[in-house]
Amino acid sequence: MPWTRLLTEFFTAVNAAEDERDAISGAVELATEMVEAEVGAVVRDGKVLGAYGFGPDVPQARLLGVAAGENLLDVAGIGELHAVPSPLGSGDADALIVARQGRPFRAEERQLLLGMAQVLGLALRSIRVLSAERHLRAEKERQASSAQTRQRLVESLLTIQRAISARRPLPEILDAVTGGASELLAGATVALLLAEGGPDRRLTIASNCGGELFPEATARAAMTSGTVLIQPDETGTLIATPVRVTGEMAGCLVAHLPGGTEQHAEERDQLDAFAQQVSLALTDARTVEAVREAHHDPVTGLPNRALFLKILNRVLASRVISTDPTSVLFIDLDRFKAVNDSLGHEAGDQLLALVARRLRGCVRASDTTARLGGDEFAAILHDSPKEAATIVGDRIVAAIKEPFRVAGREIFIGASVGVAVSRESAEKSEALLHNADVAMYRAKKDGPGRVLVYEPYMHAEALDHLSLRGDLQRALREGEFRLQYQPLVRLADGVPAGVEALIRWHSPTRGLVSPVDFIPMAEEFGLIVEIGQWALETSARQVAAWRREFPDLGLNVNVSGHQLVHPRFADNVMRALAIAGLPSSAVTLELTESVLMSEPDLGKAALHTLRSLGVQLSIDDFGTGYSSLAYLRELPVDELKIDRAFIARAELTGEDLALVRTIVELAQILGLRTVAEGIENAAQLLALRGLGCGYGQGYHLCRPTDPEEVPSRLLTALVEHR
Amino acid sequence: MQSIPHRWFGAGQSSAADSAKAGAEATAEAIGGRTPKAVLVFCSVAHDLPALLAGVREQAGPDAAIVGSSTMGEIGNAGLTVGGVAVAALGGDGFTVHTRAAHIHESDPRAAGAAAAESLRGLHDDHKVLILLCDGLTGHPHDIVRGAYSSVGATVPLVGGFGADDRKFERTYQFHGDEVLTNSVVGLALGSDGPIGIGVAHGWRRKEPPMIVSKSHGAHIFELDGEPALDVLLRRNNFTGTADEFFDLGRSLQPLGLSRRNGEDIRVIHAGDDEARSVWGTADVPHGALVWLMEADRQALLDGATWSCTEALARLDGLSPLGVIAFDCAGRRAGLMDGGVDEEMAVMRDALKGAPFAGFYTSGEIARVRGASGLHHLTLVTLALA
Repeated sequence: MPWTRLLTEFFTAVNAAEDERDAISGAVELATEMVEAEVGAVVRDGKVLGAYGFGPDVPQARLLGVAAGENLLDVAGIGELHAVPSPLGSGDADALIVARQGRPFRAEERQLLLGMAQVLGLALRSIRVLSAERHLRAEKERQASSAQTRQRLVESLLTIQRAISARRPLPEILDAVTGGASELLAGATVALLLAEGGPDRRLTIASNCGGELFPEATARAAMTSGTVLIQPDETGTLIATPVRVTGEMAGCLVAHLPGGTEQHAEERDQLDAFAQQVSLALTDARTVEAVREAHHDPVTGLPNRALFLKILNRVLASRVISTDPTSVLFIDLDRFKAVNDSLGHEAGDQLLALVARRLRGCVRASDTTARLGGDEFAAILHDSPKEAATIVGDRIVAAIKEPFRVAGREIFIGASVGVAVSRESAEKSEALLHNADVAMYRAKKDGPGRVLVYEPYMHAEALDHLSLRGDLQRALREGEFRLQYQPLVRLADGVPAGVEALIRWHSPTRGLVSPVDFIPMAEEFGLIVEIGQWALETSARQVAAWRREFPDLGLNVNVSGHQLVHPRFADNVMRALAIAGLPSSAVTLELTESVLMSEPDLGKAALHTLRSLGVQLSIDDFGTGYSSLAYLRELPVDELKIDRAFIARAELTGEDLALVRTIVELAQILGLRTVAEGIENAAQLLALRGLGCGYGQGYHLCRPTDPEEVPSRLLTALVEHR
Repeated sequence: MQSIPHRWFGAGQSSAADSAKAGAEATAEAIGGRTPKAVLVFCSVAHDLPALLAGVREQAGPDAAIVGSSTMGEIGNAGLTVGGVAVAALGGDGFTVHTRAAHIHESDPRAAGAAAAESLRGLHDDHKVLILLCDGLTGHPHDIVRGAYSSVGATVPLVGGFGADDRKFERTYQFHGDEVLTNSVVGLALGSDGPIGIGVAHGWRRKEPPMIVSKSHGAHIFELDGEPALDVLLRRNNFTGTADEFFDLGRSLQPLGLSRRNGEDIRVIHAGDDEARSVWGTADVPHGALVWLMEADRQALLDGATWSCTEALARLDGLSPLGVIAFDCAGRRAGLMDGGVDEEMAVMRDALKGAPFAGFYTSGEIARVRGASGLHHLTLVTLALA
């Protein structure tokens, strides 16, 4: 039960009070009633005020004890009650106290009481300031303006509460927060910064109003101190007040106002009060979120697939004329996975939320947008023929193409859109959505950032995609996969130190299929674990055989993120090596940087287990992700493979060399091997050797080779370089 | 020689047209030849009230404390009367009774509650309860109950009801001694050396979604979710027509539940204004509050009655009830509709195991056993004595 909303009712009542006495007695009564407590009181300046529920005998001394931290209150005729003192935020021991028989107070009740105490403290301070200024001529006007301000505050709080109780999407609620604060402060620029999870608690803008504002340092200072801060900046004054959600520091509400800090004491208090309310509102919004999850996507606040289909069904069924066209847009993001993998899923979620907002901005208010799952979105456009729907699709593509700001970076992604228009009144919602999906798939195939309208021929193509799954399963069953091996050469003396196993698929119906094409499919269809295990077992057996002739030969095997998170991954690896008779020290597992970044914690345990058993770990394509180097220290890494992109130019430029040198030096500091990929000519080889890079791979050294030819290649290389 | 019980309780009813006769008949039945310490009188405003009280006094004797209230229907073991009278009487050495009446001043309704609570002064029995009978049309029922609670404190439970005038909403009356008062609070402090049990239950449930009271003043609601309140109620009831039509057509009952920690604080909305598009009831609905429309079916209401009676009896430390005083919301009566009231009386008789009971349909009920809030609506409050 979201009873934290009671705070708005409390706020309204306390702020309607004319004097301190009324404010205190009203606050105590409401607080006591709202948490079903028996008694309540305020301790202020060492005196007990507004005591309620004690009858004629108020236990003054014991109440002062509660204000000082006692949590039991003995009341004559009732016994010991559970007591909570909530500080008013002014004097040391000033507190709002309530006490209850039988049941101790839960955390959320304590938080509600804390909010109430702060609201009361603020109201009391403003009443005191007002009465101190009573002799001033402007007193009347001031009072009037203060009353108006409070009225405005109440109104914007009600707007927020309404947004929450009407279960509006979270971004809308957050916009109501900044909009309300801006209005309260006469159009000030306001930003709501929320901290992400994770160790560094990055701050991101959840919503802003009146312009761009990202005063990170001030916000952090306010969050650290836990109190409202007011500071001058180059163009005026910044006021920052912390926002807590479920009692935890969650972010900061920041306003920028013109003029010096000395003019804004009142605004500081107002923003502080507002932030208190917002804190509770957000706590509540989270609760609401939990309830909504059944029908709404928690990340974006949009309807989920199930609700989307329900709405679509209703729209289709309610059409008056059967020709009345309803269009469905299927929107798939381009490059989302790369962002999610390299920046982490929290950043990915933020991006999705921002995408959702832009999508809503592209359609009419009466249209429905939804997140179907992953990076797929959809929209229902009422009364929209093909042409209109295509225009909306183009608008969406253009909107998503604009850079997003996530986790302090500019992110560029794209969108492909498929459109399906209902033709018959009896059209099934699932079929319509599927057709839009098919059109999107086709649009994507033609290149990202396109909008295509569904045509029946596309269906056949889509079927092809589906048959790939069957083909992959058959390939695994019928043994259509092969391995090739490419040597890793020690650059100092040209000696082959190991081989990397590379998977190949020669399909009887499709011909040679590139791993770039089928590995993602195998991951999508959940076949990658089996395929990866096959590659590991086969190559381990092969290398164990070659080691009779080349005893120091090592094996590098690629591992997919899906394998890594498999609960028996470490067991599977060790079993394969045991069966093959290959010592674990001869094996290096290659993981791409993006895999390690996306789920740094998930595979960590398995990797540490394997490392302790002697298996080595290599990071593939190093330097392509948005790397944080922290994981290099946290993970048991032995080797970095410098991505071919850094060495792609026939003649390496000074800049290329500087980059590679940085990676090599970094590796040396961390005690890691470096492998340069894609060495295609003698100049590159020379340059890399000169930089101190340890190993290399590439056509210039040796192409990927069928297993039967590998021994002779290895032998040749050995002889040549001895 | 007839033995005088240590504590006794009796109930009586009358539908006699003559007011003095009605008062006397019901009282005589309740007293049953014993000497009462207190007589509680619940009757319709249709009666000649001073005459009715004189009839009560004639039977009760000069020393009995008389308190009472006008009603929207009287109840007892014989069932419901409208335009009749129901009386509860109690006596014996085990009971102590003090009374006090206070006028409600518009500027400070709390003071009246606090003053009536003064009746508890000097009462030192093991078990105590304060029964409050209040004017139902002041618009400040909360303040009256809070005033009483602030004076009494959490050590003594409160029960009682707000009076009504059938369905006129013009003037309600309170009885204290031989006086007929209005705009007053009458307190009866009851002490006993036997246990006292109180039951509170309603049986209503929320209708989603909730709404925010975005504009209100006192008992008047102007806007819900930023929309005129009357429009919202009409829309959510699929009703087209005027406010009067809406509230007269068996939909007179529009309960709103205020969000509270362990459930709802219910308000009954009984009128609206076509011009201002506002609605109102008898108790304040705070600005900013979260409210639900409430709904109930007959069975749920009947279950509420059973629950209230059972709860009151369960608190009697295993003793058999001598009798029960009931404060039943008039809104429940409207919700039960034709035949439902008879069922409710039958349910209460069963739940009370045949113990005598008397009470009335109120425009607001009082019960505070735990916590600090004591005002209820659409609720059956029962006070059981043993």
